Amino acid sequence: MKQNPEFLINEMTPHLHRGPDWLKAMRRSDRLGFNEAELPPRGIHLWRYTDPIRFMMDIDTATDADFTGALDAVVKAEAEHVKEGRLAALVTDRGGRDIDVQISPAGLPQGVIIGSLSDASESNFDLVKEHLYQMINRKSGKFEAMNGALWNDGIFIYVPDNVVIEKPVHLFREAGGENSATFPRLLVIVGRNAEVTLIDEYGGGSPDRNKGISFSNGAVELFGSEDSRTRYVSLQRYAPAMNSYFTHRAKLKQNATMLTIPLVFGGELCKQSFGVELAGAGADSKMYGLLFGSNRQHFDNHTLHHHSAGKSTSDIDFKVVLKDRALSAYTGLIRIDNKARTCEAYQENRNLLLNPGTRAETIPELEILNEDVSCSHGATLGPIDEESIFYLKSRGIERNEAVRMIVGGFVQSTFKLVPEDLKDRLSDFVATRLETI
Amino acid sequence: MSESIQRQTRDLQALNTDYASKYGFHDPVDYFHKGAKGLSHKVIEMISRMKKEPKWMAEKRHEALDIFYSKPMPTWGDSELLNEIDFDNIYYFMKPIEQQKDNWDDVPEYIKKTFDRLGIPEAEKNFLGGVSAQYESEVVYHSMREDLEKMGIVFLDMDSGLKKHEELVHEYFGTVIPTADNKFAALNTACWSGGSFIYVPPGIDVKVPLQAYFRINAENMGQFERTLIVADKGSRLHYIEGCTAPVYSTNSLHTAVVELRAHEDAYIRYTTIQNWARNIFNLVTKRASAYKNATIEWVDGNLGSRLTMKYPCVNLLEEGAKGEILSVAFAGIDQHQDAGAKMIHAAPNTSSRITSKSISKDNGRASYRGLVKVHKGAENCKVSVECDALLIGDDARSDTYPTMEVDNDQVSVEHEARVSKVAEEQLFYLTSRGLSEDDARLLIVNGFMEPFTKELPLEYAVELNRLIQLEMEGSIG
Repeated sequence: MKQNPEFLINEMTPHLHRGPDWLKAMRRSDRLGFNEAELPPRGIHLWRYTDPIRFMMDIDTATDADFTGALDAVVKAEAEHVKEGRLAALVTDRGGRDIDVQISPAGLPQGVIIGSLSDASESNFDLVKEHLYQMINRKSGKFEAMNGALWNDGIFIYVPDNVVIEKPVHLFREAGGENSATFPRLLVIVGRNAEVTLIDEYGGGSPDRNKGISFSNGAVELFGSEDSRTRYVSLQRYAPAMNSYFTHRAKLKQNATMLTIPLVFGGELCKQSFGVELAGAGADSKMYGLLFGSNRQHFDNHTLHHHSAGKSTSDIDFKVVLKDRALSAYTGLIRIDNKARTCEAYQENRNLLLNPGTRAETIPELEILNEDVSCSHGATLGPIDEESIFYLKSRGIERNEAVRMIVGGFVQSTFKLVPEDLKDRLSDFVATRLETI
Repeated sequence: MSESIQRQTRDLQALNTDYASKYGFHDPVDYFHKGAKGLSHKVIEMISRMKKEPKWMAEKRHEALDIFYSKPMPTWGDSELLNEIDFDNIYYFMKPIEQQKDNWDDVPEYIKKTFDRLGIPEAEKNFLGGVSAQYESEVVYHSMREDLEKMGIVFLDMDSGLKKHEELVHEYFGTVIPTADNKFAALNTACWSGGSFIYVPPGIDVKVPLQAYFRINAENMGQFERTLIVADKGSRLHYIEGCTAPVYSTNSLHTAVVELRAHEDAYIRYTTIQNWARNIFNLVTKRASAYKNATIEWVDGNLGSRLTMKYPCVNLLEEGAKGEILSVAFAGIDQHQDAGAKMIHAAPNTSSRITSKSISKDNGRASYRGLVKVHKGAENCKVSVECDALLIGDDARSDTYPTMEVDNDQVSVEHEARVSKVAEEQLFYLTSRGLSEDDARLLIVNGFMEPFTKELPLEYAVELNRLIQLEMEGSIG
C-alpha cells in the first residue's frame, strides 16, 4: 500500500452511495470534511509522535479486501463458546462485509438488536439517525471523517431499557491483507437501567511488510442512558504489518457507568483515542488499559475523560510494557468544565521498560475549570528491577521466565480491578501476548 | 498563632491600598533618550550605536531581528492573549539617564524615590552583597560590596559586562539559548539592553546573595534585559531578581533571556519574585547548563503580569549534574500564569526534581507546562515531578501539561499532580479552633506555599506572604 499525503476521497467511491438518503448525506459531508482538512500539524502534542501520512492511503488501495482465512480457527473457537452459552453472541465483521451474527442457544432478551449497521439504518431509521455520527464526525478530525465517509457496513447494538445481557457479546472484526484498507464502525445504544458487556476484537491485516502493509481506520460510538451499565473491552491484535487508527467515544447520562478496557497488542503502528464524556450527575467511567509492545511496534494512545456534568467520577489506569525497540506515546486528558462541580477524576500511566532501546513518552494532562474537584494524575517510567530478576534467577528460574513473572506482577494490579467474570477471558488474551514477550 | 493571624489580617487591611499605590505609581520622566515606538533594523542600529558596542554584537542583533520576523507566533499556550501584543505600539529602547551611578546619592531623585519605595536600598544594606537596579532599558544604579569585588567576582550590568569583559561575553553569549531558540529569544537578542553579567571565579563561594531589581516605568514599554551568569569550577552563587511596574491601561512587554552556566562542581541558585503589574506580558526564556557534578536551582515565583509564559530549563550535560526547579504561580483576576519547567538529561547519573505549586483564584488560570527529556545513553537518571494546584473560586482554572520523553530504559521517572480546593475538613478544623474563615483559608494557603517560601531569604518570604495575603483578601465565596 502506498501512502499518498495528497489522497482525496473520490466522489464516485461506492461506499458514499450506500444507505438511506440521510446516511448518504452524512457520508458526503464527512468526505468533504476529509478532503478539505489539512493533515494534522506535527506541532500539536497529539501528533508529535506519529506521522499522520502513515494513515493515508492511495487511490489504488483495495477497500474491498479478500480474506485469507487465517483467523477462521479463532472464529470457530469463539463460535463454540457461543454454542456452549459462554458468550451471548458472536458477531463477525469481515472488512465491513457480511456481518454475521451467531446467537447462543438461550437466545437474546426481547428487543435486543445485534446486527448490521446498514440494515439498522433502514429498519431502525430514527434510532440510528439520532446517534450515528453524533460523537465522531468530520469535526473530530481528518481521519475520523475518513471513516465517516468510507465505512462499508458496521455493527449496531441496541439494548432496550431494563434489559440485561448477562454473557459477553464478542465482536470479531477482521481486516484485509496487504495493500488493503478497512473501516470498521460500531454504534452501541444501551437503554435505561440496561446492561451489556462487549468484547470488541480487531485482528487480521498484512503479516509481512515486505509484501505490503494494510490499513484500518475504526470508529466506535457508545451511548449509555440513565442508570445503564456498560463494559467495553477493545482487543487490538492485528497482524505485524498493520497501520491502524482508531477512535472511541462514549457518552454517559445520569448514573450510567462504563468500564473500558483497551488491550493494545498488535500491528506495526497503532494510534488510538478513547474518550468518555460524563454528561450526567453520578456518571462513572473507568478505563483500565494494558499495552504490550515489542520489536519495532509504535503505539500512540490518547485517553480523554470529559466531565461536563457535576458529581461525576472517573478513573484511568494505563499500563505499558515495552521490549526491543518498541515505542509508546501516551497522552491523557482530564477536563472538568466550569459547571461540572464536585467531580473526582484520577489518572495513572505506568511504563515498564524491559531493555535499552525502548522509548516511552507520557503526557498526562489536566484541565480543571472549577474549584470543587478532587483530581490527580501520576506517571512513572522505569526499567525492570534487576534485583528481582537476580533473586528469581538465584531460585533457578531462567531470565525470560523471570521477566515474564515480573511483567505478570506489573499487570496484576489491573486484573484486580477487572470484574470476576471477565478475568479468565482477559488473562487468556494477555497470556497469549505475554508468551511472545 | 491566632494572634499572629489577627495581626496579619490587620496588615492585610492596611495593605488594602493595593498594587496601584504600592508598586503601581509612575514617575513623570524626562528621558535622556526615548526612541520612537516600533521595531525595525533602524531602531536596532540606534540601540547599537548608543551603546557603542562591538561589531559582532551589532551583527548578532540584526541577524536576530530577521529571525524574529521569520518565526511565527507560538500556536500553543494562550495564543489568544499572545496575539493581543501589538509589536508596533511598543518602545524598544528608553534610556532614563546618561550614565549609570554607583553611589546612591547620585541617582536622580525620582528614580531614588521609586527604588526607595520598593525598599531596594534597605535590602541592600541588610542582606545583599550587591545590587543592580534597572529602570526601563538600562541599569541606573549598581554597586557591589568591596570585599566581593576583591575576590574577583564580576557583577555588572550586561552593557558594562560587554565593555569590560568582552572576551567572556563573546565566549558565552547565546550559547545556552541560541538566537533562533524561539521567537521571543530572537526578539530579546535583537534589542536586549541591561540585565546582569556575573562571573564567579573558580572555588569562590559568594556567601551573600546578589540582587537585581527590574522596574518598568513608562507605558507601552518593552524591557529586554539579558542576563548571563557563569559560575566557574567549584564556585557558588545565589542571585535574586525582582520586578514591578506601574498600572497602565495599555500593555507593556517584558521579554528577558537568562543564561546560566555552572561548570564542574559549581552551584547556582536563581530566585525570581515576579510581581509585574497586571498589564505586562512577561515572556521569558531562562535556561541553564550544568556540567559535571554541578547544581542548578531555579526558584521561581510568579505573582504578577497579565500573561506569563516562562519555563526555566536545566540542561544536565555531564555526569552527576543536578537540577532542581521550584516554581510557584498565583493567578488572580484576568491573569494567566503559564509557567513550568524543563529538564533535559543528556548525561548518565544525572538527577532532577521539579516541584510546581499553583493557586488559581477568581477567574485566574494557572497552567503547568513541563518537559522532561531523557536522552539515549543518559542512564541511571532519576527524575521526579510533582505538581500541586489549589483552586479558589468557582471560575478558577488549573491546567497541567507535562511531557515526559524517555529514550532509554535505565531511568526512573515519577510524575504526580493533584488539583484540589481548600479542604472543607481543614477549614472546619481551624474555624472550630476560633479562626475566622478568612484567616483559616489564609493559613491553609500559606501552608500550601511553604515549601516555596521557606527557600527564600527571610525578607522575601515575608514579602511573599504579604503579597499572598493581599491576593487572598476577601476570598470567601
